[in-house]
Order: sequence, then C-alpha cells, then structure tokens
Amino acid sequence: MNLTLRGFMKKEFLQTLRDPRMSFFVFGAPLLQLLVFGYAISTEVRNIRLAAQYAPGDQLARRIEARALSSGWFVPVTHQGEDPFALVQSGRADVALVAPAGGLSRAARRGDARLQVLVDATNVIQARAVERYLGAIVQGVIQETFPGQAPPSPLGLEIRTLYNPAQVTTFHMVPGVMLMLLSLLTILLPSMSLVREKETGTFETLVSAPVKNWEILLGKTLPFMILGLVLVHLIFLAAVLIFGLPMRGAYWKFLLAAVMFIISTISVGTMISTISRGQQQAMMGSFFFLFPAIMLSGMMFPLENMPQALVWAAYLNPLKYMLTLLRNILLKGGDDWVFWTNLGALAILALAAATFSFKRFRQTLN
Amino acid sequence: MKKNQLAVQARHLSVRFGTFTAVDDISFAVRPGEIFGFLGANGAGKTTTIRVLCGLLIPSAGQAWVAGLDCQTQAADVKTKVGYMSQRFTLYSDLTVAENLAFTAALRKLDTRTLQRRTRELFDFIHFDYPQNSMVSDLPGGIKQQLALAAALLHDPPIIFLDEPTAGVAPAVRARFWSLIRQLARAGKTIFVTTHYLDEAENCRRIALMRDGQIIALDSPRRLKASAFPEPVLEIEPQPGTSREWLRKLKLDPRVARIQPHGRRYHVLVLNGPAWQGIARRLPKTLSLRRIQPSLEDVFIRLVEAEVSA
Repeated sequence: MNLTLRGFMKKEFLQTLRDPRMSFFVFGAPLLQLLVFGYAISTEVRNIRLAAQYAPGDQLARRIEARALSSGWFVPVTHQGEDPFALVQSGRADVALVAPAGGLSRAARRGDARLQVLVDATNVIQARAVERYLGAIVQGVIQETFPGQAPPSPLGLEIRTLYNPAQVTTFHMVPGVMLMLLSLLTILLPSMSLVREKETGTFETLVSAPVKNWEILLGKTLPFMILGLVLVHLIFLAAVLIFGLPMRGAYWKFLLAAVMFIISTISVGTMISTISRGQQQAMMGSFFFLFPAIMLSGMMFPLENMPQALVWAAYLNPLKYMLTLLRNILLKGGDDWVFWTNLGALAILALAAATFSFKRFRQTLN
Repeated sequence: MKKNQLAVQARHLSVRFGTFTAVDDISFAVRPGEIFGFLGANGAGKTTTIRVLCGLLIPSAGQAWVAGLDCQTQAADVKTKVGYMSQRFTLYSDLTVAENLAFTAALRKLDTRTLQRRTRELFDFIHFDYPQNSMVSDLPGGIKQQLALAAALLHDPPIIFLDEPTAGVAPAVRARFWSLIRQLARAGKTIFVTTHYLDEAENCRRIALMRDGQIIALDSPRRLKASAFPEPVLEIEPQPGTSREWLRKLKLDPRVARIQPHGRRYHVLVLNGPAWQGIARRLPKTLSLRRIQPSLEDVFIRLVEAEVSA
C-alpha cells in the first residue's frame, strides 16, 4: 500500500481512538443506543388511561370496561363522575367512555345504542390505536352478549402477515437505528476531520509535502470507512444476537450495501468539509443534512404520503436507499432487482458527492 | 542543484486577495548557502511570499523559481526541495513526537530506515532529549518549535523556509534557534527566514525590508546601514535623574537631524562629522556619549520615513 495512505490510516486511528471517551462514542454509544431504541421504541400503545361512566346497573357498559382493562392496553382512572371532558382536558384520562343516560344495555336492546368515546388526539398515534382497540373490544362484547343475532358476514378477510408475522416492532426499527447510527459516524466525523486540520494549522503540514489531492482525500476518509464497517458489523451482530433479527439474505449483499452506503455518506461528509470554514460549521452542516435525511428515509414516516417535492428530494437521500436495502436483505431475503437498483442509486450519489469534493478541494492556502 | 544556480528567484511577483494587494510586484534572488532575511511588520507580505515560494499559493502575477523549478507549474517538485516551517504550529498536539515524525515521513514517502536515521541525526542536532513517546502537547514551547524545525528538515531539503521561527519564544531559546540556523547555513543549506525582530536580522547575509507588499531595501546589513546613514550616529546616555535641559537645546540645534529615543538612551543623528565636534563641546559632562553603528531598527525607521515622506 501507498506509504502516505498507510501513514494517514495510522494517524487517524490514533487520533480518533486513543482517547477512551472517543472510542466509547464511536463503538460503545451506538450499541447502547441500539439497545435503548430496540427495546423501548415501539409503535404499540399501552397504559392508556381509561375513564368509563355508566349507571351502576348497566351490564353491557360494565362488560366493555372490564374487557378493555383485561386486554392489557388500558388502565383504569378513578373518578367521581366528573364531567368526562374535564377528565380528558386535565390530562387525567386519555380516553373517556360515556354510556347514554338510559343505560347502554337498554339502548342496545332497542337497537340504537350510542356509546360516546372521548379521545385525546393530541397524540395522533395513540388516538388511532385507542380507536382500533376499542372497536375490536366492543365488537367482541356484542358478539358474546347477543350470540347469533348479527348476520354472518358474506365475505371475510384472511390476512397473512409476511416477513414479520408477529409484527415485532423491533424488526422494523433495528435497520432504521443501524442506519441512523452509521450515518452519524460516517458523516459527522469525516466532515469535521478535514476542517480541523485547517483550524489547527496542521493542514499546512499536509499541503507543504508533495502529496496528491487524492492521497489527502482518501487518506482522510479511508480510516472512517473502516471504522464504519466495523461499527455496522457490531450493530448487526448485536441485533441478531440480542433481538433475534433474522438475516434472510446473503451476507455479501449486506456487506456490499454497507460498503456502498458508507462510501456515499463519507463523500457527503467530505463535501460538507470542503465547503465549511470551521468545525462548528461542519457540525451544523452535518446535522442540517442528517435530520431531513432521517425524516425522508422512510424510517419513521412513509415516503408515499409526502408532497411530491419532498418525494423528489428523497431521491437524493442515501439513507432512503440503504433503508430499503437493509429491510430487503435482512427481512425479505434480498430480491435481486431491489438490491441492484438501490445499490446503483447509492453508487451514483457516492460518485456525485465524491466528484464534487474532489473538484472543490484545494491544496492552496487562501 | 547545479552550481551557481540561484536557490530562489522571484520576478515581478504579485499576490492579490480580492481588492487587497498582499505582495506588490517584488523581484529578488537568493544565492545557495545564503541566510536571506525577510523583514517587515505583520501584514507586510512576508508570509504570502513564502507561501508562493513553497508552492502553497498561486501568485496573481509574476513568476517564482525555487531550486530552478517553477513554483506554479512544478509545485510538487518544489515541495521535495524545500523544508517549510510555518509561523503556525503545524505538528499534531494529540500525537507523540515519534508519531508526528512518522506521519511527516509518510507524507514524503520516506521509508522506515530513512526516518530512523534522520530522526537520530535531527534529535542530535537540536539536542532533543525528551522521550519519543511524549505527547507533543506536553512539551515546552521552545522545544515544540525546535521539533517543528526537525520535522521540516526530515527529508533533508537543500532550501529551508522559516516563517517567524522565533515568534513568541523566550530570548534564550531565540538565541539557540539562531545558532541552529547558522549551523544549517554552514552545512550548505539555503535559509530563507522572516522575522520582525530586527536584532535577529543581523545574522543574515542579506536582508530585504518589506513594507505594504513591496521591498523597500535589499542588501547586507552593513551596507544597508552605510547607505541609510552616511552621517554619524551618536548614542547619548544620560545619568538617571539629571536635567533634561540639554535635550531641549539639542532639539533646537540646526546641526542635529534627528533624535530617536531608545529606552533610556538617545540615538542622535547629526548632519556631518565636524558638526558633531561643536555639539559635543556644549553638552554637559554628565552625559556619556559615543559614536555607534546604527542598528537595523534605525535603518528601518529611516527607510520607512523616507517612503512616507516621498
């Protein structure tokens, strides 16, 4: 290997990893975050505080409340028959059930029962879950209470959930978390490392030696590529061993996707480095890129629902392609068409960002 | 390098940053083995000139050659011939001494054996006796500066550019640093050094005085003094506590060209030799006075004043 590149490797590793705190931030912190995110973040909503108001003799309403509490999603709110609006307004309850004045049982026998549900929709995700849960619970209670009265449905859905049959949220989240942690390392560190040399004056050491532009650029980025590859494997192993993440695709596809993604994010980081005037600007620039990139990756919000302009912007987002690749390889076994098209898109982005950095990089001091 | 070839040559060199002209049409030549001093205040254009000569900056106009190579089109070759010590500290504080030198060697593609040999020679030269695994950030300022010099000399360049190598270091270290510079020159290296300490410039074979991007004088220190001050310069040292009446009288004397305070002393410039005799007789006996060689500072002040009045 080129002596200069080898020198850069050694120097960058020493500078990044000698400080034990920095080593922790590079390797330990991402694993810790994977654990926290993997265990704690879930789209399932639990511990919904339920306040039910009905007359003491109302059997049907009592049954619905009991079924809701035993489902495990709801917890009861003790109250003395206050205004149900006030309960939701004051935040003591997330949802209030109010039976009609004459009692729900009697109304149901008449055939025009209306059970009021007041849902706090300041948290939309929770409100939707409440609606879904309650609908199912009421349906169940009705079928038990009035057996044979509901006409059998002429059409039933038979749903098979593929690739994640248990709908484990972790499987959905882990590729996303892996992506975020990897992006942070491979965009932020390279973006700051070149500017730091300019800030401290050591850039003059680099350029006063007869080195080629590509030697400096590659020397400054190759070490981060290796760090990124080590990190991606650490996270991957942790995800498989701790969360039982399935690995249904070929390892070489995973590796190739990781390499291509890291090249693209490091190129973006280097690009930020060549247009920033200091470490502060580089850091701001990195986050300015990272936040929208995470939002537009499809990790949290489906891209299909976004305005067309944002959908176009998402085509420039390496995170979007990598998320598709990861989910496709890990969970679906790696369809060839999906694999190659997304890999190609990553390659094009990487090439564009790398070309820009290379053109923009100057060995002169102005 | 061929014999008799100039080490450095600049022809009508100009560097502009936007509307600001940092270097304004300068020309000069440096002979091999010379200690060539570049003097001037901060912002006079010294660093900019050095950066052009080291291939780190592209001039707006004019041409420069170092070791016979064009600084613009053959920058990479120039960089192999020169050692450059920036006025900023350019070693990595978060690496050890050995790691810094190893990285410098890697940048210049020196093999391990060369690195080890040169490290030994240079540590011997600068009398470096700290452990090689000390962090650079832990070394005292003067030692860091000498280590930076060693790093600039690692590839054994024939031409060495030192940009304010003694800025901000203790006087004893400055003296030590200059003895290293003289040793290098004796060993046949060409030294191009900038400073704003005028006393240091006495060590140079020739000096160029820079002001506002231009060279306002270029010669050996002795000849510069002689041409700037054809008249005698006298130094007067009053006893502490004596009356300043003589000073007032002296200032009114038409034969006195200028009086320049230098600490407790005064440098007095008179129109000619005979005039001095007349003045000296009228001065009180408590003053000690002697005829002196003007310092480079006198020369600099006089040249700059001449520039301003012209």
